[in-house]
Amino acid sequence: MAKAKTVDARHYDVILAPVITEKSTLLSENNAVVFKVANDATKPAIKAAVEALFDVKVIGVNTLVTKGKTKRWKGKPYTRSDVKKAIVRLAEGQSIDVTTGV
Amino acid sequence: MAGVHRYEILSKDKTKAMKTVETLNEGLKREYRVTITAKDIDARVDDEVKSIAPTVRMPGFRPGKVPPNLIRKMHGAALSADALNKAIDQSVRDLMTKEKLRPALQPAVTLADGYETGKDAELTVALEVLPDIETPSIDGLKLERLTVPADDKAVMAKIEEFAAQMKRFEEAPKTKKAATGDQVIIDFAGSVDGVAFDGGTGEDMAVEIGSGQLIPGFEDQLVGAKVGDEKTVKVTFPDEYPVENLKGAKAEFAVTVKEVKVPAASKIDDEFAKSLGLESLDKLKELMKDQVEQELNGLTRTYMKRKLLDQLAASHDFDVPPTMVEAEFGQIWQQLEQEVEREDDPAAAKAELEADRDDYHAIAVRRVRLGLLLSEIGQAHGVQVSSQEMQRLIMQAAQQYRPEDRGRFMEYVQQDALAAAQLRAPLYEDKVVDFLFEKAEISDREVTREELEAAIEADDDSGHVHGPGCGHDHDHKPAKKAAAKKPAAKKAEVKEEAKAEEAPAKKAPAKKAAAKAETEEKPAAAKKAAPAKAAAEKPAAKAPAKKAAAKK
Repeated sequence: MAKAKTVDARHYDVILAPVITEKSTLLSENNAVVFKVANDATKPAIKAAVEALFDVKVIGVNTLVTKGKTKRWKGKPYTRSDVKKAIVRLAEGQSIDVTTGV
Repeated sequence: MAGVHRYEILSKDKTKAMKTVETLNEGLKREYRVTITAKDIDARVDDEVKSIAPTVRMPGFRPGKVPPNLIRKMHGAALSADALNKAIDQSVRDLMTKEKLRPALQPAVTLADGYETGKDAELTVALEVLPDIETPSIDGLKLERLTVPADDKAVMAKIEEFAAQMKRFEEAPKTKKAATGDQVIIDFAGSVDGVAFDGGTGEDMAVEIGSGQLIPGFEDQLVGAKVGDEKTVKVTFPDEYPVENLKGAKAEFAVTVKEVKVPAASKIDDEFAKSLGLESLDKLKELMKDQVEQELNGLTRTYMKRKLLDQLAASHDFDVPPTMVEAEFGQIWQQLEQEVEREDDPAAAKAELEADRDDYHAIAVRRVRLGLLLSEIGQAHGVQVSSQEMQRLIMQAAQQYRPEDRGRFMEYVQQDALAAAQLRAPLYEDKVVDFLFEKAEISDREVTREELEAAIEADDDSGHVHGPGCGHDHDHKPAKKAAAKKPAAKKAEVKEEAKAEEAPAKKAPAKKAAAKAETEEKPAAAKKAAPAKAAAEKPAAKAPAKKAAAKK
């Protein structure tokens, strides 16, 4: 990403990874991309981060938290970490190549 | 160099165009510069992606549901390399079709430096074409079939020879003194400096005096011994004796002669036949007759084939692809060099070899030419090797292997087209020759064996003399040699004739035979099975001749 202006480092802490699945690719028809984001990230923060990192215009952010499953190991129950995902709708005509990374 | 012209070849998809420019057209050599557009390559990548899409697995997707653009992202590099290769292949093939080229060997394709994905690819295609052989006229071939009847005399001679090989020893009278050629049965006890050494004693050992099986000098000292004699044999172990502490040691052997036997010729009678596991002498005769006939048929065929090839060579003259000749020549040369290594005086032999270089080169040219010619004839007349024949051939070839390896070998042949082609080549060649025999006018003439063999020998000369086509392409040297040899050879027994030929072992004919085996490989590797067989041609003809002669 050749960008003249330096990106605030905190944005990198918000966006963790793209979610590349069948479902997420289907969403691209609605001009939306899915990211894993930090658990404590807010919608405005996500919006700001995506706009800053990918140089696009975001028109909406929906988030969801998938709760970590309860598993057992040696009979002892533990929970996997929760994961927060953000479905980011981009403005018409803009796109993010999720496979290239940031 | 012919004029440079430019045209476009349209492949199936009209949007894919490639430009071809001929840059060299010299003799049989051609060179083209082919440009494959990036679009063409791209389209191929797409095709590729589409073809693998149903099989791609990726986490987050059900198998086969990965979108193409993702696949392209993930496997793009590998795919485009693949696609490029295919594009190159295709364009070379297109080029062949368009230009109606028949490459002699695999074309050498080089990709211009600095090619990057997404750019047009520039290729240089260099190849040699097969010469345009107008379908050889196979009418009016005149051949003479020299047949030799297998008469009783020949059969008996064969049996006698056979009997001579079965050496027997008969007990001699007690007073008989052992002479060279006799067999003595001895007990012996050997010692070095009065001390017995390992393996120095033995009982009832049969020693044939003069056979040279024992330490030098040992056998000689047994000459004159009688039954019951006790002798002390003093010998010095040779320096190269394999046992370390006996090298060069002086040893004494106390020898007791138990028996003296004289060699006896096997009498040819029913008894003899029975000792060979046959019912009677008649049976043996029959068997031998078959053998003799086979041998003679082989000779007859060799002669006819030689004549045939000479006629073909004489009536056809065309340029042959230099690389094929080089390959052929390389093989001959390698073979020769190996043989030279085994000579007593490698340096001198090598020098002689070097002097004959041109001759061998000429042989290579002739071989390649005849090869092309034969394959051309075969193709033109639909000579084919059927799958049954192929099967039989494979079985035969498999015989040389150990039983447990045979299955593997068969599998290998069935899978590897190249190996199969190698096997098929000689058979195909034979079939073409057979086909030509059928077409040719054949006059029969009965001759004696000596005449036939002389004719085959003589052929070495005459074959090369006529026709510009073979006049220069033939090895003058062997021709001359053969000629020089002939007077002597004719008088001499067949055996000697064979030897005479082999003796100047540096001469081509012998070599050719030897070279034969590998000969097929290279051209066959050239993907065109056809030229292969032909290359084997000449030597094939020669080999049997030699073998037959040697056997006799």
